[in-house]
Amino acid sequence: MESFIQADNFAKILPYAKLFRQGMQVTVLLSLFTVAIGFCIALVLALMRLSNVRPFRALGIDKDGHQRETGLLAWISYFNPLDFLATAYVEILRSTPVIVQVFIIYYGVFGLVKLPSFQLLGFIKFDRFFPGVVALGMNSGAYLCEIIRSGVQSIDGGQTEAARSLGLSQAQNLRYIILPQALKNILPAIANEFVVIIKESAITYTIGVQDIMSAVNAVKGATFVIIEPLLVATGIYFCLCFPTSKIIAYFERRMSRGDKR
Amino acid sequence: MATRDSLIQVTDLKKHYKMGVIKALDGVTVDINRGDVMVVIGPSGSGKSTFLRSLNLLEEPTGGAIVFDGVDITKKKYQDAGGKTVRLDIDSLRQKMGMVFQHFNLFPHMTILDNMILAPVKVKGMSRQEATKKALALLDRVGLKDRADAYPIQLSGGQKQRVAIVRALAMEPEVMLFDEPTSALDPEMVGEVLDVMKELAREGMTMVCVTHEMGFAREVGNRVLFMADGMLLEQGSPEEIFGSPQHPRLKEFLAKVL
Repeated sequence: MESFIQADNFAKILPYAKLFRQGMQVTVLLSLFTVAIGFCIALVLALMRLSNVRPFRALGIDKDGHQRETGLLAWISYFNPLDFLATAYVEILRSTPVIVQVFIIYYGVFGLVKLPSFQLLGFIKFDRFFPGVVALGMNSGAYLCEIIRSGVQSIDGGQTEAARSLGLSQAQNLRYIILPQALKNILPAIANEFVVIIKESAITYTIGVQDIMSAVNAVKGATFVIIEPLLVATGIYFCLCFPTSKIIAYFERRMSRGDKR
Repeated sequence: MATRDSLIQVTDLKKHYKMGVIKALDGVTVDINRGDVMVVIGPSGSGKSTFLRSLNLLEEPTGGAIVFDGVDITKKKYQDAGGKTVRLDIDSLRQKMGMVFQHFNLFPHMTILDNMILAPVKVKGMSRQEATKKALALLDRVGLKDRADAYPIQLSGGQKQRVAIVRALAMEPEVMLFDEPTSALDPEMVGEVLDVMKELAREGMTMVCVTHEMGFAREVGNRVLFMADGMLLEQGSPEEIFGSPQHPRLKEFLAKVL
């Protein structure tokens, strides 16, 4: 009986080390771009969800100039279209599988919009890589938005009351009081999301992005060895994810100065 | 009583919830004069805090008027001296009203000094050095100058509340609003906070205090309001309110707390 892992299989896949190295580079780049795009989308979405844009505000004011208490007009006056759009985006992206989103972006959107087919760093196919980044970025934007929003809403309402009663505007309150405290609270959740992005990027091998998983597949096809390449992939993913969460944990400690007695 | 100019006129102030089923405030009318130390007492749920928080619009009233510096601040828009319609600038209004909360609400991610200078620098546009100098002088007044670089969590409750008071004072408000400032304190720390408030009153600061400290109301207040069920049931000097209460609800309340 053969053993589960065989040393000579590692020797067989050794000539393909370059594939793994390139796969790792792709995964890292993919994750970084995804985080950047996701964070920008998330910030915009979170601000939309927290905004107080009320185009029909005037309908809620009665003839004395006071805010109406109840009724359809009062309800309409509180309607915030930005919040509505952002909420719809978040709920749709969170309620559908990533692989479906990746396929829709790749075959749907970028089936219509032709991308130039050049190669980044000499080996990354841009017309595969870019749709992957867009799809993952849009997806993580929805999750990061909810993290940011919940972080802002986790801050005690007394903080806002104190800031506003000192004369700070809503924007100043957000900038100086709420966001610094919220950021500290959501760092663990953000770290978790970053790690999730690194791992989830593996799904883009299904549209031909040459990441770590695609290296595993290529090696499997060439050598008929499967377990050992998977173990190598496991090791690489771990080496990417574990330090990421450790680095963020360091910043978490540094930011908790106000908690120490 | 000496004639005082009126600072805030509250007329028939109402705050209703749920189509008027809940009436947190049900028609409160009162004039607050410059130099007044007005103490608001009453059982819990009587609308005292809602009344106080309405004054700087932390609660939005659903009826009535609050005229502050000649402007009805419950309206979103008003006519200025030239007859032009302008939007109410709620931020500049709140600068003139200092507020002290039951739970202090210091900013935990900033040092005491940063807590003090944030609003003067960011809102009033004061220079950092000038704001720092002023903040240290204020902290010195309440005996906390040496804690300027500490974080709020390193302070006791009484110290936090003293910082909260001088933080509001740093904006040089025309009136100070106190929302049960000693209710969250350990008994031995109540005195140090009340002492600061007494000193403020002696200096002529206009104050509106919601409190359960009857001793403070009697000793420092020049007017006492008794509220119950969202209504102002009785008002008068401390001697009148505590010496010869008229309303049965007030008599009942005093019998319980004194």
